[in-house]
Amino acid sequence: MQRYRIRWTKEGRTRYISARDLTSVWERGLRRADLPIAYSEGFTPHPKVSFPDALPVGFASTGEYAELTFVAPLAPDRDLARLSDTLPAGMDITTYLEVPDGAPKLARMLRATLWELVWPPVDVTELTELLNRRSDELVASERAEVIRRRPDGDRTIDVRPALLAIAASTRPTAGGDVCTVLRAVLRNDGPTVRPTDLHAALSRDDIAEPTLYRRVAQGEHVADGLHEALSAAVVPLVPDVDAEAA
Amino acid sequence: MLGAATAQRAPATPAPGRRLAYRRPGAAAQTPPSYWDVIEPLLSRVRKPAQYVGGEHNQVASPWEAAETRWLLCYPDTYEVGQPNQGLQILYEILNERSHVLAERAYAPWTDLEELQRDAGIPTFSLEHHRPLWAFDIFAVTLPHELGHTNLLNLLDLGRVPIRSAERRVDDPIVLVGGHAAYNPEPLAPFIDAAVMGDGEEVTHEVDDVLRGWKRDHLGVEGAPDDGARRDLLRRLAGVQGVYVPAFYEPRYHDDGRLRQTAATEPGVPAMVPKRTVQDLEEWAYPRKQIVPMTETVHERFSVEIFRGCTRGCRFCQAGMITRPVRERRPETIQKLVEEGVTDTGFNEVGLLSLSSADHSAIGSVARDLADTYEGTTTSLSLPSTRVDAFNVTLSNELSRNGRRTGLTFAPEAGSERMRAVINKMVSEEDLLRTAETAFSEGWRHIKLYFMVGLPTETDEDVLAIAELGIKALRVARKHGKANKVTISVGGFIPKPHTPFQWCAQDPPDEIKRKLSLIRHAIKDHGGLKLRTNDPEEGVIEGLLARGDRRVAAVVERAWQLGARFDGWHEMPTLETWRQALRETGVDLDFFSYRERDEKEALPWDHLDSGLEKAWLWEDWEDARSDKELDDCRWSPCYDCGVCPGLSIEHDTGYTGGFQLPVLPQGLGGGSQDLPTAPERHASGG
Repeated sequence: MQRYRIRWTKEGRTRYISARDLTSVWERGLRRADLPIAYSEGFTPHPKVSFPDALPVGFASTGEYAELTFVAPLAPDRDLARLSDTLPAGMDITTYLEVPDGAPKLARMLRATLWELVWPPVDVTELTELLNRRSDELVASERAEVIRRRPDGDRTIDVRPALLAIAASTRPTAGGDVCTVLRAVLRNDGPTVRPTDLHAALSRDDIAEPTLYRRVAQGEHVADGLHEALSAAVVPLVPDVDAEAA
Repeated sequence: MLGAATAQRAPATPAPGRRLAYRRPGAAAQTPPSYWDVIEPLLSRVRKPAQYVGGEHNQVASPWEAAETRWLLCYPDTYEVGQPNQGLQILYEILNERSHVLAERAYAPWTDLEELQRDAGIPTFSLEHHRPLWAFDIFAVTLPHELGHTNLLNLLDLGRVPIRSAERRVDDPIVLVGGHAAYNPEPLAPFIDAAVMGDGEEVTHEVDDVLRGWKRDHLGVEGAPDDGARRDLLRRLAGVQGVYVPAFYEPRYHDDGRLRQTAATEPGVPAMVPKRTVQDLEEWAYPRKQIVPMTETVHERFSVEIFRGCTRGCRFCQAGMITRPVRERRPETIQKLVEEGVTDTGFNEVGLLSLSSADHSAIGSVARDLADTYEGTTTSLSLPSTRVDAFNVTLSNELSRNGRRTGLTFAPEAGSERMRAVINKMVSEEDLLRTAETAFSEGWRHIKLYFMVGLPTETDEDVLAIAELGIKALRVARKHGKANKVTISVGGFIPKPHTPFQWCAQDPPDEIKRKLSLIRHAIKDHGGLKLRTNDPEEGVIEGLLARGDRRVAAVVERAWQLGARFDGWHEMPTLETWRQALRETGVDLDFFSYRERDEKEALPWDHLDSGLEKAWLWEDWEDARSDKELDDCRWSPCYDCGVCPGLSIEHDTGYTGGFQLPVLPQGLGGGSQDLPTAPERHASGG
């Protein structure tokens, strides 16, 4: 048995695949790539692909993770590239790490998430300034309660304990405009706080819902961003526009 | 409010008459807009958004300007129900294999997205490029059953195409229907331009050739055709064998409202439109590159049609009657399709499809070879077969090598011996109980038995025989284990065109309800025997549309206007809407559904030739009423139903190389009238 941990993306049209349907999308990709994935025992065996947590439908991500168990050794550079090719467009494997026996659980390496909220290219200067002002207030506060509305009853969530870092900045769009981007590092342990809750905490009915939520990466919080779990690279809180364009 | 997206405006839809630029062949065409950018922001607000995004493995996305002819293929139900349909996948593949053709797919949006589309001005769109229906040459819609009719009207209207054929302009798409319900397209006659009867493979290419030629003649760079050119296209289409253009025929009625005849009114069109039959299935080994969905559908598997047609002669079964004769695929072709398909798609289940899959003459070796190939792997095999005999159990044992023996399904269809003689389902009670004995003794834990009520000549005694048979089967089950179960599923019978029961009266829902309660009462002291039924009301619309004539079109249109959609869905109880439409249009259910016809009466599908002689069907109807059975003509002498001589073809069976079925011509049953909803029932059909 050989285990790999991978980081993968869920972008473009694959953002709409539900967590429930992902298992079969991965299983079919693995079968098309003809990789020796291990299966669970029993009458309805399932491929040993485990995901630390589910991403809400519609969210984008460059920070999905998974642990895959194979019954035979891989040539990982070649084989995982092939798997990446057989997965639907938008789902790509970007990093892998072979897992030694006795390694700590994947979830323990993913203690924080760098989230990104993206707005359309309007009101950019005002919006970025307002978001930074509200972010500073949020960081300075002791509590920041928001109401999460659910069909099965509203819940009150305190956003503050999960918030490790936050900053708004701007970024060029593919269409040649500039848009506002808010990045925040949220704790994964403790009560779940979603980036939608963060928006609720920042807006006083004066900030529109972002057009895109993205899970950028997961790992450990460090001073200027997030120490990504598998690559050891630091993902900055304020995106380095030039570096990302390159 | 800062950062609010400026409301995305959908690209404007050009008015009918101004769409010609998009329709021109090849590079002369203007590419229609993609609506993706306006659809995407809506997706977070609808259920199951992945069904609208496309992009699946084996999707074919061609450039608009590279194509001379452009098809939009549609299953008029949700993606989840329609995507697995084999017929449409065959056409998608054989059309896209032609270098000058572009074929994309469309399904019905659920009501939540439809509402948002209408608000935002987003027309019916294709999955590949999210292009609008109005820009395509042909909107080809498969109608596996009658409960998609209102969805068809809705998709046209949403796609900004006039719902009436007569109002379409030269630059509107041709609306073409096929599939089993196209064997009586009269209730849709004003809305469709043409219907295709029978196997689609060859005729689709012929229609495409006609379209290509017509476009070259009329739609070249310079051409500015008037609406007369559309009539020219319809005339050319009517010249393709198997294509029926309703506008060229006119129904005439007696004073009492009965149909006198449907007469051709256009010179040169055939008085009888014959169905198309592909003689050699080996030439059409499709679909090979099956779409792999990224969201749940009703059948997620690699399916191979192992034969087409059925000659068991079950008198209630329209599929069995209209798809004759039997044409088998060779075992080695089946094996090859499966192996290549499983590798290509990554599906972990294989389905061997047909109307009665255990009847393939080499099914034993096919099943054994596939079971050998996939033994010890995670690929499972399924063979939807409901034949009532021990051989079916043996086959199921073979196919379940990798899995658990849970449930088996058999379809005796009727409870009493007499009733089974009437419907020509040649299964004895002894056969069934022996089969149950075999199944339970070999470790199966649950059997399901399918039955119908509302069959012609049925008495309460016949109905109660269903309960008795269930109780006897339960007794057998319990002998082999206290936890073993038997389920009886009972549906209301709906008479269909081109069958010996096309003349009979359908039971109204209250009568079906009464019969079901007789069964429920008779089994109430037998825990372990479960009864499954559908709401009898659900058969009303299907029955009306199945045997309705052109006057029923008014009801379809009115029901759609009043909001009827997804008529086959339990979640969408549209019957009250239909009843209102019936009242408003004065169409009478008693006349169309609950009345027995006589031999002389013209039927709305008399000018559509399924190959079966009307005289033979009548004779078989008379035999039914005197409890007379008829053998399967694969193994017994020909009884001149009319199909084979009419088409100068014959049954294509008997591939050897494996073992032949040991005992065939006795005690077998085939076909099934499944209990699930009509959309579920027809989801995998070809």
